[in-house]
Amino acid sequence: MLDAILHSLELLLRLDTLLMMSLGLVLGILIGALPGFTTTMAMAVLLPISFFLSPVVGIPFLIGVYKGGIYGGSIPAILVGIPGTGASVATTYDGLPLTKKGQSRKALDMALAASAIGDFAASLVTVVLIGPIALVAMKFGPPELAAVMVLSMLIIAFSGTTMVIKSLMMLLLGMFFAMVGQDPIGALGRFTFGFFPIESGINLLPMLIGLFAIPEVLLSIEEKTKPFVEKSIRPEGDRLTLHELNDCKRTIARSTVLGGVIGMIPGVGQVVAALMAYAAAKTASPTPEKFGTGILEGVAAPEAANNAVNGPTMVPLLTLGIPGDNITAILLGAFVVQGLRPGPQLFAQQAPLIYAILFSMIIACGLLYVLGYLLIPLFSKVVMIRKAYLVPLTVVFAFVGTYVYRSNVFDLYFLIFFGMLGYGARKLSFDVTPLVMAFILTPVLEYSLGQSILLSQGNLFHYVVIERPLALVIILATPGLTYLMWYRTRKLRNPEPVNGAEPLPAKQ
Amino acid sequence: MSQLSRRMFLAAAVAAGVALGGTAVLAQNYPSKPITMIIPLGAGGSHDLNARVMTSVLPSYLGQPVVVQLMPGASGRIGTAAAAKAKPDGYTLLFTHNFIDELQQHVTKLPYNPNKDFVVVARTNYAPPSLVVRADSKFKTLKQLIEYAKAHPGKVKFGHSGNWGATMVPGAALLQAAGVKMTLVPYKGGGPAMRGLLAGDVDFTVAFPSVITSQGDKVRTLVTLADKRVFKDVPTSGELGFPNVASIATMQRVVLAPAGIPKDRLAKLREGFAKMSKDKTYMKLLQKLDENDEFMSGDQYEKMRMQQDKSYAELVKELTKK
Repeated sequence: MLDAILHSLELLLRLDTLLMMSLGLVLGILIGALPGFTTTMAMAVLLPISFFLSPVVGIPFLIGVYKGGIYGGSIPAILVGIPGTGASVATTYDGLPLTKKGQSRKALDMALAASAIGDFAASLVTVVLIGPIALVAMKFGPPELAAVMVLSMLIIAFSGTTMVIKSLMMLLLGMFFAMVGQDPIGALGRFTFGFFPIESGINLLPMLIGLFAIPEVLLSIEEKTKPFVEKSIRPEGDRLTLHELNDCKRTIARSTVLGGVIGMIPGVGQVVAALMAYAAAKTASPTPEKFGTGILEGVAAPEAANNAVNGPTMVPLLTLGIPGDNITAILLGAFVVQGLRPGPQLFAQQAPLIYAILFSMIIACGLLYVLGYLLIPLFSKVVMIRKAYLVPLTVVFAFVGTYVYRSNVFDLYFLIFFGMLGYGARKLSFDVTPLVMAFILTPVLEYSLGQSILLSQGNLFHYVVIERPLALVIILATPGLTYLMWYRTRKLRNPEPVNGAEPLPAKQ
Repeated sequence: MSQLSRRMFLAAAVAAGVALGGTAVLAQNYPSKPITMIIPLGAGGSHDLNARVMTSVLPSYLGQPVVVQLMPGASGRIGTAAAAKAKPDGYTLLFTHNFIDELQQHVTKLPYNPNKDFVVVARTNYAPPSLVVRADSKFKTLKQLIEYAKAHPGKVKFGHSGNWGATMVPGAALLQAAGVKMTLVPYKGGGPAMRGLLAGDVDFTVAFPSVITSQGDKVRTLVTLADKRVFKDVPTSGELGFPNVASIATMQRVVLAPAGIPKDRLAKLREGFAKMSKDKTYMKLLQKLDENDEFMSGDQYEKMRMQQDKSYAELVKELTKK
């Protein structure tokens, strides 16, 4: 194996590989920063370039686009509160307040550092533990996934900053929105009233931009006398210091572990990792009430986690030849065109090449940090735009971003609807996080639950208890974990806990 | 940020287009602007990959770039409906497959009529599905599998890529022809279904050649649901006594245009796609993707398409009958 590793470094350390990887990273960051352009789209568009390059150049190029894109989403999240991708929703919570405090540069630096560190550590562990991770990935079938979904939703609902009952209401509302359209198992229409445009359901992007960006715009119009950024001499603020980074090391470490573990489970992904890591950081903090007011830990937590997902998600692709999501499906295409078929065979025959690709993931993290560091001063200039221009520009970006995603005019109506909903929720102090979480996870839950029922051939209880020990463990741990999260964050919600505010028993 | 990044994005896109597309410009007036090709499916799937290969070669034969527009949702109905509504001026095409094109009308109410609203430009190629089991499975042949399923109705689990999807229809067509009942478990795509097979959650799945080859000796192929053998030692469904399964089961990748497109424009498109199918780069890239380049002209496919309409009507009627 050592031989293969040494040989792989020889393959990889070439100027053209590093240059193409850098190009990929820059393109990824720029496209990821544009609302409406997802990392998946960026990769699909840039894929043909890799057809005409050698494997050790073309695939690192796409890996650069991938990693750059996931990081790039945090830029508009921090600067204007538009989450470019689902993965950067949690980044808006503290990122935008930091920008308003005149510390956008620090926030962007922290997002970059946390992304690069989380990604680096998780990729390194992936390279070392690729075999065991592949085994873990195989253990997570539909029943286990369903159990993880329930656990994630409950944790988000019970660790929120608003009353649990309010969070649960938002959770149910999110589940309802997720059910509009075709049901995932039988493909029958639900809540569509026979109206064709909503048959495909509600799209995530208009919901995210609507819930997060539009209320921000409306609120800043209300406070029209206040400048967007309080300080006016250097509105972007100073760079991040090593000391500040050091203060967040526990948060980054925790998020990296959480993101890495979530990345091993096929079908969960970056969005869940980021939101869960934010909740975990809040729960572990001695001062949870500061989260959401603009602290660096609140940026570090989701950013380290969403990038830590990247490494482990590659494992099922490389070891089994099975892409876990759309991004790895595109990478599979790139591999196949190069005449490489990922799977058990490839590992046996082309070990140096596979290691070269794995190492390129690690090198990409280093390059991401360098390139991001150089680009941040450019991005942070955005806050110097006068509010009179910045606010309308945000609106334009919100609408254009929503439309370009799939060129569906109906998405714009949803954008406005969710904008109003988000504004109302803000005014009535409802937290929309459980809504987003439930919206994203409900289809997965429904699908995996339906699959589990079919797999159990009618006797779900027996199937889970006898044949699915891992699912059983997760289900049994759910009430305890939920209680723990609720208990640790209780002082956030009320000065005095309301009588009888016991957590509801978790549903199985 | 906005301007700079947008400019860079455009620059990259243009550079990519120039580098990949070749720039032979024809002097006729159609097409005089880029052509949009709607794919009613998501990014990263096999249609997306095929389209990326096509669009990197097509400009040399049509004289204009072809822009892929992904419009996924509602089992392909969203993108198809958008294409059906588009102006029939030859600047909007639809790249779809037979399970969306001809099958959807039998499972749900559509806001379009596939047979009246579209004409065929070309069938670019087809994908032959095969039935696979784990290498350690007790089923060594299709016959054993069918006999076991007959003796134990509903016990055998078939993991597929989603209802009325590309691996469900072939499998269901075979089960219907063999007259057996099984438990059908939908997965979100062929990849997860293969994972389900390898993890032992289901007993068999249906997959396409590239996926099967990459699994090496982990899986065993029992039958290929096509007219021609794909793997030397694996029989076709026809050879095993199911002559009618192949025509329903094979995934046909087709390019359609909204009906009412001027005749000369359709002719130009048909000619362009036919030339593309002979292009060396195109053939080489498809081969690497493990896709064949068995091109079929629009006229010829039109007949096959009407036949599919009938077969799917029967299949759906049979499968949804309780």
